[in-house]
Amino acid sequence: MATPPDTLDKVGAGLDALDVPVSAHKPPLWRRFLKTGVPPLIAFALLLGVWQALWASALLPEFQLPAPVNVWNELVRSISTGEAFGILWTSLHRAVLGFLAAVLIATPLGLLIAKVRVVRAAIGSLLTGLQSLPSVAWVPAAILWFGVTPSTIYFVVLMGSVPSIANGLVAGIDQIPPLLPRVGRALGAGRFASARHILLPAALPGYLAGLKQGWAFSWRSLMAAEIIATSPQLGVGLGQYLHNGSSLNDINMVIAAIFLILLVGIGIELLLFRPLERAVLRARGLTGAL
Amino acid sequence: MTATLETALLSTADTAVALSAVRKVFGHGSSAVVALDGVDLKVKPGEFVCLLGASGCGKSTLLNIVAGLDGATSGELQINTSRPAVMFQEPALMPWLTAARNVELALRFAGVGRLARKRRALELLELVRLGDVADKRPHELSGGMRQRVALARALASTTVSADGSPALLLMDEPFAALDAITRDVLQSELLRVWETTNTAIIFVTHDVREAVRLGQRVVLLSSRPGRVVREWDVTDSSDAVLDEINTHLREVISGHAS
Repeated sequence: MATPPDTLDKVGAGLDALDVPVSAHKPPLWRRFLKTGVPPLIAFALLLGVWQALWASALLPEFQLPAPVNVWNELVRSISTGEAFGILWTSLHRAVLGFLAAVLIATPLGLLIAKVRVVRAAIGSLLTGLQSLPSVAWVPAAILWFGVTPSTIYFVVLMGSVPSIANGLVAGIDQIPPLLPRVGRALGAGRFASARHILLPAALPGYLAGLKQGWAFSWRSLMAAEIIATSPQLGVGLGQYLHNGSSLNDINMVIAAIFLILLVGIGIELLLFRPLERAVLRARGLTGAL
Repeated sequence: MTATLETALLSTADTAVALSAVRKVFGHGSSAVVALDGVDLKVKPGEFVCLLGASGCGKSTLLNIVAGLDGATSGELQINTSRPAVMFQEPALMPWLTAARNVELALRFAGVGRLARKRRALELLELVRLGDVADKRPHELSGGMRQRVALARALASTTVSADGSPALLLMDEPFAALDAITRDVLQSELLRVWETTNTAIIFVTHDVREAVRLGQRVVLLSSRPGRVVREWDVTDSSDAVLDEINTHLREVISGHAS
C-alpha cells in the first residue's frame, strides 16, 4: 500500500517481461525426420527381416507363408496393371461417402443426446451399446433387407461409425468446463451464438476423437461387408480382392490385400487426422502427447 | 408534483444499481437455504463498491443476481447502466482463441462489426498493457496476464453501448487466485483502469485490506443469511478503519461458532 504507483508499474512491467513466453525455435527438417520418420522405418525393416528369416527356415509351407518378394511382386503387378487403383478407388470412395453420411447423421444426433435430457435417457446407453456391437453382425440382416447391393454396404458402414462419432461429440460436450458457457451468458451470447462460438469449439477435441474412431470403424465395417457381400454388381473392392485371394488359395494376393487395407488406414491417419488433431490440441496448449 | 418528478429523475440518474429487499432462497421446504435476506444496496455511476464477507455470505449470489445470471426470489433490482460485465475468480478465457480474439468475442456477441471489433479489442488490450501479446493464446500467458485479458474482455462487454449510459463491472474475487506481487500490481492496474473509464464497479472480496485499498465504499455482509451489516466510506482510508472493519468481520464470523 505504501508503494508509489510508478514503482508498481515497473514491477508490473518486470513481471510481464518475465512472463512473456519464450517461443521455442523449431528444429530443422532433417532432425524432425530423424526423430519421427526413422523409428517406424527401422521397425518395418525389422519386421521384413523376421518374415524373410521365417520363410527361409521353411517351417511353414509356401502356400501359408509366402516369400516377401512374392507379395511384393503381386503388389507391383496389381499396381502396374492399374488393378490396384481401381480396387482402392472402389473401397475408398465407399468409405469416404459412408463416413461423410455418418458425420451428417451423427452430429445432430450427438448434439440432441448431449443437450436434451429425455433423448439422452432414452437412447444414450443404446448408442454406447451399439458401439460395442461388431458392425459385421449387421451384414446378414442387411443382405436380407437390401440384397447384395451398395445399400447393404453403406448400411453396415453407418451402423459402424455413427455411434462412435455421436458418442465422441457427447463426451466432448460433457467435458466442457461449466464456467465457459456461463461466461458466454454473462457476455450476452444467445443460445445459438453460444452453441456456435462456445459449445462447439470447446467440444472440438472430443468430437475430433470421435471422428477419428468413426473413420476407423467405417473402414473396418466396410472391409467386413465387402468380404462377406460379394457380387459382380458390387465391383471389386479391397474386401472382394481379399476374398478372391482366399478363394484362389493365393496367399500372395491375401497378404497384398491386407497390406493395402493397412496402408489406407495408416495413410488417412497420417495425412488427415494426425495433423488436424495436432493443430487443435496445440492451439489449446495440450502438447503433452505430441 | 413537478418537484417529485424531478427527484425521481435525479435519483435514477444518480444510481447505477439499486437493490431493495432482495431475497434469495435455494431449494424448497425444509432443505431450503436462505442465501440473501433483505439486501438493500445502491451504487452510484462510476462508484467503486467492495462487498466484503466471509464464506457463505452470498456475495457471489448477489453478484450473479445483478449480472442477470440468477434471479432473485423476491425483492427489486434496478439497473440503469449498459449490460453489466462480469469477471470471475478464474479468467475463463476460451482456450482456443488468442487474447485479442477473446476480447473480440464479447464485442461479437454485442453485434459489433469486424473492423471495429479488431480496433476496439486492441485498444482494450493496450489499456491493460497487453498490446504486445494480443496474438498469444491463454496457455502461453501467465495467470496475471490472463486475468488482465479477462478484464479487457469484461470492459469490452460493458462499454460497448455508445448511448452514453454508464458502465458497470462486476468482479467476483478476481485476484484471489494470484500470488501476492501480481495481485498488488493488478490492484493498481484496476484502479488506473477504473479512473480512466469511469465504470461503476462492484467488487466482491473476503480480503479486508484489498477492499479498503480499492473501494470508495466497503459493504460488510453477514453470513447465512447474507444481510448488509454495515458500510464504511473508505475514500481516505486509514489504518483505524481497516482495524474496525476487521473487528466487525471477525465478529460476524465468530457468531457462527457453536
